[in-house]
Amino acid sequence: MTRVLCVAEKPSIAKAVAGHLSGGSYQVRNTGDTYVKNYVFDFNFGPPWGPSSVTMTSVRGHLTALEFPAVYKRWEHPPPERLFDAPVQTVVTDDCKNIAKNIEEQARYSDALFIWTDCDREGEHIGGEVRDAARKGKRGIQIKRARFSNIERAHIIYAAQHPISLDERQVEAVSARIELDLRIGLAFTRFLTLSLRALGGVMSDLLLSYGSCQFPTLGFVVDRYFRVRNFVPETFWAIKVMHERDDIKVNFNWSRHRLFDRMSVIILYERCLSARTAKVTNVQEKPTKKWKPLPLTTVELQKMATRFLGLTGKDTMDVAENLYNKGFISYPRTETDRFDKAMNLRELVAKQSQDSLWGQFAQNLVNGAFQQPRQGRHDDKAHPPIHPVTYAAHTVLDDREKKVYEFVVRRFLACCSDDAKGVATDVEITYGEEVFTAHGIIVLERNYLDVYPYEKWTGTAELPKFTVGEGFEPTEALITEGKTTPPAYLTEADLIALMDANGIGTDATMAEHIDKIQKREYARTISRAGGGGRASGGGDDDDNENDDAPAARGGRGRGRGGRAGQGGRGGARGGRGGGGGGGVKEFVPTSLGVALIEGFDRMHFETSLGKPFLRKEMELEMKAICEGRTSKQVVLHESVSKYRHVYDQSREELNVLKQACRQYVFGNAQAA
Amino acid sequence: MENAAQITASQLQQALRTQSIPVPSHSWLQTLVSSSRQQLPLASLIATARTRLLASDLTTRNLLDSTYIAEHTFPSSILPTPPNTNNTTINTEVKETCLGRDIAVQVLDIENLNRSRWEQVEELEAIERGEQTRGRQVIRLPTTTTLTGDGDDLGVVDESTQSTTTTAMTSGGAATAAREQEKQNKNATHKLVLQDAKGAKMFALELRRIDRIAVGKLNIGEKMLLRAGTVVARGVLLLEPATCQVLGGKVELWHKAWVEGRLARLKEEVGADRR
Repeated sequence: MTRVLCVAEKPSIAKAVAGHLSGGSYQVRNTGDTYVKNYVFDFNFGPPWGPSSVTMTSVRGHLTALEFPAVYKRWEHPPPERLFDAPVQTVVTDDCKNIAKNIEEQARYSDALFIWTDCDREGEHIGGEVRDAARKGKRGIQIKRARFSNIERAHIIYAAQHPISLDERQVEAVSARIELDLRIGLAFTRFLTLSLRALGGVMSDLLLSYGSCQFPTLGFVVDRYFRVRNFVPETFWAIKVMHERDDIKVNFNWSRHRLFDRMSVIILYERCLSARTAKVTNVQEKPTKKWKPLPLTTVELQKMATRFLGLTGKDTMDVAENLYNKGFISYPRTETDRFDKAMNLRELVAKQSQDSLWGQFAQNLVNGAFQQPRQGRHDDKAHPPIHPVTYAAHTVLDDREKKVYEFVVRRFLACCSDDAKGVATDVEITYGEEVFTAHGIIVLERNYLDVYPYEKWTGTAELPKFTVGEGFEPTEALITEGKTTPPAYLTEADLIALMDANGIGTDATMAEHIDKIQKREYARTISRAGGGGRASGGGDDDDNENDDAPAARGGRGRGRGGRAGQGGRGGARGGRGGGGGGGVKEFVPTSLGVALIEGFDRMHFETSLGKPFLRKEMELEMKAICEGRTSKQVVLHESVSKYRHVYDQSREELNVLKQACRQYVFGNAQAA
Repeated sequence: MENAAQITASQLQQALRTQSIPVPSHSWLQTLVSSSRQQLPLASLIATARTRLLASDLTTRNLLDSTYIAEHTFPSSILPTPPNTNNTTINTEVKETCLGRDIAVQVLDIENLNRSRWEQVEELEAIERGEQTRGRQVIRLPTTTTLTGDGDDLGVVDESTQSTTTTAMTSGGAATAAREQEKQNKNATHKLVLQDAKGAKMFALELRRIDRIAVGKLNIGEKMLLRAGTVVARGVLLLEPATCQVLGGKVELWHKAWVEGRLARLKEEVGADRR
């Protein structure tokens, strides 16, 4: 019999996989590590290994760490910039010594190593560490890797019988990132800490950590903070036309929306009044849809959870990870928003039909209402969108798990359902020379909305009958006045969206960076003041609502009051923003956070550390390594010299940074 | 030689009358003709005269033919009394009247009334920092223009859709931004300050969209012909494609000053010279 050593990324996965492969009958052996067990059983992998004697074990995340030799331990000397090119060494971390030893010993008796780490870049790198440990035990050991994205039984057995190779490029990409993070992070952290402690006072004991993701993340928070603080409200005017017919008050929106000039609006308004009657120039009635959501990605999960479940991004990921480890949901780190056509989604839907809340809905899908999910444009080629794998009874989950699981299930069922359908009516009138439109929607079939309460589609009141060519004297025509309002501070969902759009962190690490800038006291959260209506313009759905898209979409800092007289629709939007239920948290920087970002921005480099550009480039380089377009060595060299350049400039202009600290932290000059 | 030039200037004036541009004075044309080193064919002279005229300040003494001026400037009936050439004031007494004749004007100022001044301030400041936003994405603009201290294109970079000398336009990000701008312009309403050849200024409001009127597209000093029939409501000219003909041109100095001073002007208007 072939002897195969299987190694998973965490003990829970090792246990689950061992359970599936052995059919539940395995022997458990203790190892030198309290949490790591060895599971021994027989399994037939099929060719080439055939029937094998298997030892399944695990690591606990990364086995090794990269570090500088002891001479670089002291902060003051050698000077921090030496860390850009000082030698580094890979060492097995202290708490992993026994784990590495276990793998080494087991490998000695094995013919093959079968790696079962999570299928993403980080997992690939951990696989590389496992391989290195195993080779210490047996130089020529055969190496394979399992490709899987959830720990459902059939899927695991399939993965066991279809091993693939370890992706060396991904391993290289991660090790490049680790090395860059170490060099750049440590060099700047020491530089900042040593330089700014010299200012004394509250700064004298601070540890000013720098991270190439943390700073741009903080940069977004500071940027928005200043946009809110510096905002200057302005008055605008608009013409509002209302016409009452069949007891329905129809509000017409001005095609010019609003103008920031009173005189002009008065002139145009006067010409409307002179015309006396408005003429109906177009009436259009057409079927409309509200699209069901796309299959769930990690970023989307975090955004939705922070908005609707009252969890932070980090909590969400922790909970999702638990649900995955318990086998309830698929791997929660994925960029993919399209299901493979070959997946049997109906079967997964059917598993949910026993639930008391959404079971009936699932049963309806099974009985014929099932629709193939929409296909998004992203595919990370590793994992499917996040979806429920097996049914989890409410009793086996804790409160937070219940929330996240429920969301994942509802999202999945929504994806497998049909779009919501309705009829939209658009009426266009000309009044004087001005054009006004009214929009009405009648919702006919709610479909996915029935299982997906996180979205709403409020039909405005049905419009009365208007006929092209008819004239009428509007019941009311007024000049309205409004003021622009500042944008809101960033919510976690906004911040994640910004990081995502600007390539800061991976979907898997974003939540950690956000967590970190709070731990470092560079930023904190406050509860959103006032009522719900502060949804930032256009910040909501980005891929939805094909023909329900209001014109206000995407306007930077447009006044929300702007859609005066918008009636039902404005209300619907506001309602959604507030739907998070009071507990919406907003991010504001601390005075220290402001000082650091302002300081770097004021140095006027081509690339401030507070901006996303440098990090984005690094992230793109990682991708290039994975795709074989460049190598680790090239990337290391290029990225290090870019950051070293910034470092040199920062040192020359240190006074600018110090001045920013004096201003914001010590409150000299005008306080922030 | 002298004689030949004399004839050509008259011919030139005659030829220019048939075009819709303001008719230059005889003496101005004479200078133009005599300054050209060699005898140019009439077509080239017409083109040169046209270009120079459109690049000139219409109120320049002896630039335009005096009869033309008399027939193509705002009638005093629509101007406030007494006429004020320093400020643009409005005669609000008359609810509505029409221009009885064609008027030649030049653009002194343009404003997009759909955008708050602060929104424009934020955008210009971002460009000064070398950034631009596209949706949620922050884009770094090529920094060459801003670093040279040349300053010429600072304000134009954002909105220019024509081939000015901006380097930023060559990058993909800026091109997309320009397209977005274009979309935004579709429903825009602009307000202009227009000046006739006698120096009288009036406000003009875009009643119906005219594509060439847009910030960054319409130059300062650009010439327009307002056709007879143009409506004047409460002392404000109402522009629409049928009666407003954009002739082109640009007064280089004015345009530069306008672009460079735009951010400061917007800030002042909004009362935010703090920061």
